[in-house]
Amino acid sequence: MKITMTWVALAVAFALPGAAFAGPGTELPKDLPPYAPDKPLPVAQIEKKTLANGLEVWVVPRDGMPRVDYVLAMRNAGFAADPANSPGFASLFAGLLSEGTAKRDSKAIAEDAQALGGSVGAGASNDGVTVYADALASHAAPMLSLLAEVVRTPSFPDNEVKLAQANALQGLKAAEAQPSFKANRALLAATYGDHPYSRTQQTEASILGVTPASLREAHALRFHPDRALLVITGRIASAEAFRLAEAAFGDWRVPGAESPETPAARRSATPAYLLIQRDGSVQSTLRMGRPAIAATDVDYVPAILAGTVLGGGFSSRVNQNLREDKGYTYGASAGFSPSRMGGRVQAGADVRNEVTGASLEQFFHEFKRLANEPVPERELLDTKRYVAGGYLISNQLQGSVAATLASNWLLGLPSDFLANYVPRIREVNAAQVQAMAKKYFDPKDQSIVVVGDGKAIAEQLKPYGAFKAAE
Amino acid sequence: MKSFRAGLLLSLGMASLMLAALPAKAADADRWQIPVAVKKLDNGLTVVVSQDRSSPVVGVSVVYGIGMRLEPRNRTGFAHLFEHLMFEGSANAPEGVFDKVITGGGGRNNGSTRPDFTNYVEIAPSSALEPILWLEADRMRMLDFNPATLKNQQDVVKEEIRNNVQNQPYGGFMWLDVGFNAFQKWENNHDGYGSFVDLESATLDDVKAFHRDYYGPNNAILGLAGDISPEEGFALAEKYFGNIPARAVPKGPDFSEGLNTQEKRIQQADKLAQVPAIAMSWKMPDRGSPDQPAMSVLGALLANGDASRLYQGLVKGRELALNVDSLYGLTSEWEYNGPTLFTVFALYKPTTDADAMVKAVDEEVAKIVKDGVDDATLARIKTQLLADWYNGMESFLSRADTLAKLQLLWGDASVANRIPGWIDAVTSADVQRAAKTYLTAANRTVIDRKPAAMIQAPAAARTGQ
Repeated sequence: MKITMTWVALAVAFALPGAAFAGPGTELPKDLPPYAPDKPLPVAQIEKKTLANGLEVWVVPRDGMPRVDYVLAMRNAGFAADPANSPGFASLFAGLLSEGTAKRDSKAIAEDAQALGGSVGAGASNDGVTVYADALASHAAPMLSLLAEVVRTPSFPDNEVKLAQANALQGLKAAEAQPSFKANRALLAATYGDHPYSRTQQTEASILGVTPASLREAHALRFHPDRALLVITGRIASAEAFRLAEAAFGDWRVPGAESPETPAARRSATPAYLLIQRDGSVQSTLRMGRPAIAATDVDYVPAILAGTVLGGGFSSRVNQNLREDKGYTYGASAGFSPSRMGGRVQAGADVRNEVTGASLEQFFHEFKRLANEPVPERELLDTKRYVAGGYLISNQLQGSVAATLASNWLLGLPSDFLANYVPRIREVNAAQVQAMAKKYFDPKDQSIVVVGDGKAIAEQLKPYGAFKAAE
Repeated sequence: MKSFRAGLLLSLGMASLMLAALPAKAADADRWQIPVAVKKLDNGLTVVVSQDRSSPVVGVSVVYGIGMRLEPRNRTGFAHLFEHLMFEGSANAPEGVFDKVITGGGGRNNGSTRPDFTNYVEIAPSSALEPILWLEADRMRMLDFNPATLKNQQDVVKEEIRNNVQNQPYGGFMWLDVGFNAFQKWENNHDGYGSFVDLESATLDDVKAFHRDYYGPNNAILGLAGDISPEEGFALAEKYFGNIPARAVPKGPDFSEGLNTQEKRIQQADKLAQVPAIAMSWKMPDRGSPDQPAMSVLGALLANGDASRLYQGLVKGRELALNVDSLYGLTSEWEYNGPTLFTVFALYKPTTDADAMVKAVDEEVAKIVKDGVDDATLARIKTQLLADWYNGMESFLSRADTLAKLQLLWGDASVANRIPGWIDAVTSADVQRAAKTYLTAANRTVIDRKPAAMIQAPAAARTGQ
């Protein structure tokens, strides 16, 4: 089947001559066939309109499976909009949108979505709330009505709010038992200070403090058509998609104040060294990080590539070193995590107690190596192929195209960022990768958080900083 | 990385997707015919190709007709251990080459072990297809039978079991322990993850024999989906696999079983869980039985999603449970070729107990036995099952894999295009009959898994035989 794509002829320069490239040091079988030349990258053809109320609508028609996907992104509605005393509020808020509307209760919503061959739901991120729905192609119209109802008229019924709170408390209890949950909380605080990006995890008090009234108030403040994007993709003609969008959202008006813009997050921080005691733990959960850049920063594309070489997959340097070579861990990773008004780098692994210090040493060795030596050409090309492959694999799924467009928009990226992503990655050179490592992965700038048994590991941590006890 | 567990999660995701499948009358707009072309090479390798040029990506799945049921008697866990060894290199491609060539070509890969098959999957830009096929053919031909690798992977598998079973709340009891208790024959009721003693006892001779007996081309299906035509796919299969000789496959024992005739109730203590849980399992109809589509509809009606009877009746309604999930053994309701289970799994509130949970499920089943299912509900369940069947086919990786598995298990990959019709034909009377035949107390195995602290005498409560 032919899908609506523009074929961009590109990057013949990257068609590799000779054998497939493996990482340095790996001898390749002599009769292994080479990769074929790269095919042109498929690029989503986006048609755009803005409704009179300010709602942006992007349509990406595809002639594949008989399904239509919707994603509605609402800017400034996520964790960054949560009050300081209510961390993680946006996750309960998003979860409850589809648990009752002015017309339907939660059971009717679930049954009606099922009858349309799909589902409707929502989730929160730092910069927004994303409401998504999908349906069999013949049910595209009623599913968009249902989505609009969930977006425009959620009712936050008392019994559903209570049930969601009870479930969230259970979930929190389970999460608190996970060392990675505590480590992330401490690292976010060390990275972002008191910026709202540090407050994405729920607490018992924040869960108990949610009321139907506070949810309704948040909805009025956060959900406005002029800060929303609706992406429609799948087996639907663009004229029909725009018509449905107009019918579902055209008369949506929200008077009153809007939640404020998120302030910029800091770009550097004095590193903190924190040890969170976990009695009897047989593993140390290691996390390192510092503030970095927003997705719109000029460094963003070379930074992604540098992060991928360092810690973005099974063949990345930290995983090859700590897992495959040393056997310290089941998996090690590192990379950038961008938001709209700032971002951070993070690296980490869960390691056996006795190699806690040795693991930090290897992480920092890899950070320095990336800064001090140019990445060999083959490794750089392999990593670019890995990134391009991720783009192609994800682009094959229509719902994933819609979700990526929406999340890029929340990050403040232009709509053609997706189409230009792989070409821009391919342009990055070894010197730029080195520069990114120098700038963002200098060991002396990294906060270090360790969750583990101090009795077993405190001595090993001494060379890396004056560790303070934390919760 | 290539773990039983990773595979399991994948499979549960698939099961719930699939569970979620055909409108009483699917609109023409919703018909989706998946192209299926099949050819058998002279050496017995069956090749299934599904062309879709919408993206320059290809999914690859090599499915072998060997799983946990047929592993050697004193070698529990061997099929899974062997799956690990398949990633550890051959004489031609030393350890490390496999992953580097695939990721360096932009691809991703994985593998998993199940009762009736072991599958190895890749998805990659189509420019990487030939190196991938070379690597798959290479490891079908011969592995690097090496004592150091065997020892290393025995340790890795034990670490995996510690991580995923011994050190996990609930320890996978809803897919492991239910089978240990529900089945009569060793092939079906032994631990497919394996005992440490059996894993440690595995020798290089075992590895060689297993590869020789079960990993030949005549015991495998190659599935290809995406940016490739049947002609291209068949030619590449011939080029890379055509000269691997067929090898004799030992005839397996008869592992079929009838339905159970007496209920089993078991209580287990869990050192790590905070909240009690229950698993209720019923033996399923045989693959290909006329009752199979009805069970698919019945399973979705009861336990798939927020609209289901058990969610509305136990999480909401009676407010006994925190969640309700369902699974079909380790695969889906279409991907088995021997005894398997339909299992309902729920966490329940400490203020109630297993008896109340069983009673509530019985009441919901009894309603179906008595009244069947109304037209509107039946129609929306079918719509959901159709949509979820399609959703499971969207990714080229899962399309290649599903077609290869159906070819192996049903002898016909085009079953993929018939399943929607089978679901569409299910009537209320069929659902009633399935509930009455299979969801009986006698055919049921129940495990009540409680936090150890909630149980007075944990030692006595381990397994209620």
